Amino acid sequence: MSAPIGNPQEDFLVLDDVHTHFDMGKDLITRASKGVVKAVDGVSLTVRKGEILGLVGESGCGKSTLSRTIMQLIRPTAGHVWFKGQDLSAMSDAEVRRERINFQMIFQDPYASLNPRMTVLDTLAEAVKTRHPDLKRDALRGRVADLLRTVGLNPTHMKRYPHEFSGGQRQRVAIARALAPEPELIIADEPVSALDVSIQSQILNLLKRLVRELDLTMIFISHDLSVVRYISDRIAVMYLGRIIELGDAEAIVDRPLHIYTKALMSAIPEPDPRTERSRERIVLSGDPPSPLNPPSGCNFWPRSPTPHDERMKHVEPPFEEAAPGHWVAACPFCAPAAPVPQELART
Amino acid sequence: MTDHSETAVLADEPIPPPTSASEIAEEELVEGSSLWKDAWSRLRKNRLAVGSLFTFIAIVVFCIAGPWLSPWDANTQDLFLGAEGPSSAHWFGTDTLGRDLMVRVMYGGRISLMVGLVATIVALSIGVIYGATAGYLGDKTDASMMRFVDMLYALPFTIFVILLMVAFGRSLWLMFVAIGAVEWLSMARIVRSGVIGLKKQEFVEAAVSLGYSHRRIILRHLIPNVLGPVIVIATLTVPAVMLLEAFLSFLGLGVQPPNASWGVLINEGQQNMEIYPWLLIFPALFFAATLFCLNFIGDGLRDALDPKSAKD
Repeated sequence: MSAPIGNPQEDFLVLDDVHTHFDMGKDLITRASKGVVKAVDGVSLTVRKGEILGLVGESGCGKSTLSRTIMQLIRPTAGHVWFKGQDLSAMSDAEVRRERINFQMIFQDPYASLNPRMTVLDTLAEAVKTRHPDLKRDALRGRVADLLRTVGLNPTHMKRYPHEFSGGQRQRVAIARALAPEPELIIADEPVSALDVSIQSQILNLLKRLVRELDLTMIFISHDLSVVRYISDRIAVMYLGRIIELGDAEAIVDRPLHIYTKALMSAIPEPDPRTERSRERIVLSGDPPSPLNPPSGCNFWPRSPTPHDERMKHVEPPFEEAAPGHWVAACPFCAPAAPVPQELART
Repeated sequence: MTDHSETAVLADEPIPPPTSASEIAEEELVEGSSLWKDAWSRLRKNRLAVGSLFTFIAIVVFCIAGPWLSPWDANTQDLFLGAEGPSSAHWFGTDTLGRDLMVRVMYGGRISLMVGLVATIVALSIGVIYGATAGYLGDKTDASMMRFVDMLYALPFTIFVILLMVAFGRSLWLMFVAIGAVEWLSMARIVRSGVIGLKKQEFVEAAVSLGYSHRRIILRHLIPNVLGPVIVIATLTVPAVMLLEAFLSFLGLGVQPPNASWGVLINEGQQNMEIYPWLLIFPALFFAATLFCLNFIGDGLRDALDPKSAKD
């Protein structure tokens, strides 16, 4: 797949044809292979310094695996992850461990991502020490206080335990922990999906501000398009382990090219009931195919709302620049669908 | 405190740069309440557990301090006196050799309790470290470590002890080793399964992505979180170990005369229980009471540490 790969030596983060496969092992008796799950199957991407790149896709499309592959929590099966000119995927475990302070992750579930036996002070101080191992007690405490202020928490509560905070506050602590090693890249894996809608916007605004004011770069992963649309500078749409469309947030939202992106966009509810009533929906049939046994050719064909064209099964669509900076894996046979009538879409 | 009050702080204030470190005074800090503290306050409300705890402490004090206060010696025989029922001089009576039973119960208690505690501590430390390492490393290391545990499990305990005694001669320390070697197996299994459950939690993933060492992740992030069930099991292991010791002593493989443990005393007592019933009743009473107390404390701890599992 040709792809918009930048220069690995100069660009901030470059993914070069990254594959992450999981071998399901062999059947105990027949010794036949149970197959290989291709969670990430050839992703190439360049992340620019200072941007927020939104990564959307439905559950099971491999976005969490991709985030953990970038973090080197899971090592890629093939391909390279270049971070500031260094190939992370070629480093030894010990080298990666030293490099980790430069890229951090915010997790989905704020109830599971903090150690329940440690105070917020201990959790954050431990993370600060990864960058400043020689910091003494008082300085460490001052640093933790400032981190808490940074994420909008009261520093006098630093001796409390995670269970004494609400979900939104815990997520702020988790954000503070990710900031503690002073990273340059933050990967946020569904950081607001476990939170109330009212809290979501607060956290989103906080993340947006942090990226701007602390000069960070962020990969923001979510299945929620309205959230991604709000926070991202650019959006990458992921489907079945691959990126099928990439472009400026505005372009992806207003002028989606791939039929899948169009279907996703048409699924965002409108806040105004009048426009909501006239909203046209593109409905996809079926579930996403299993990454254990992905369909051949244009892997989208089993779900295309248009009549199936046999040629789809044989031609793998190339990833091409359709408009400046707007890339799409357009299948010539997934014709733009006729909008489905509202009555049908509701069922 | 609500989320709203927190965000009000953020709205307009500039974000402090990531390198700043301001001063913060100790007195300003709000003290948090740890899960241990919460568990302790729940335990204190459990009457059965608190009552058992006090009874257990009383028994321990009785066994440790008692011999200093009693005028009698544990091993001084009075063959003219022989076995006498409880009297004002000998409150628990005397045994067939005329030794004061109360002092012997105290000494026996010292040994029984010591076996219980030492063997449990041995089992605890080996089991927790072994189980946590196996569970954390996973894969082939885990498989081979746990197969070793299975192998030891399959060894018949009595034969194992008899072999040890034959090879090294009888001693109290050997009994600690033998019991500890058996009891740590189940501890290791429990810790391992707990760690495997925890390993999938995001806070462990976060610890890995912060670049902490394996050692630090196991000691600071995994073990403290499996300690709850481990403490419960440990409290329940103490009586199990004491029973094992009694069983070994009963077979003549454990504590050797003239030393006594509760198991030895019960064994002596049952030989003459039709003629001198007090020789069986007193040590059995103390032994049973201790086992009851420890079991109730263990149950109480389990409810306190894991409030979701409490039945009430």
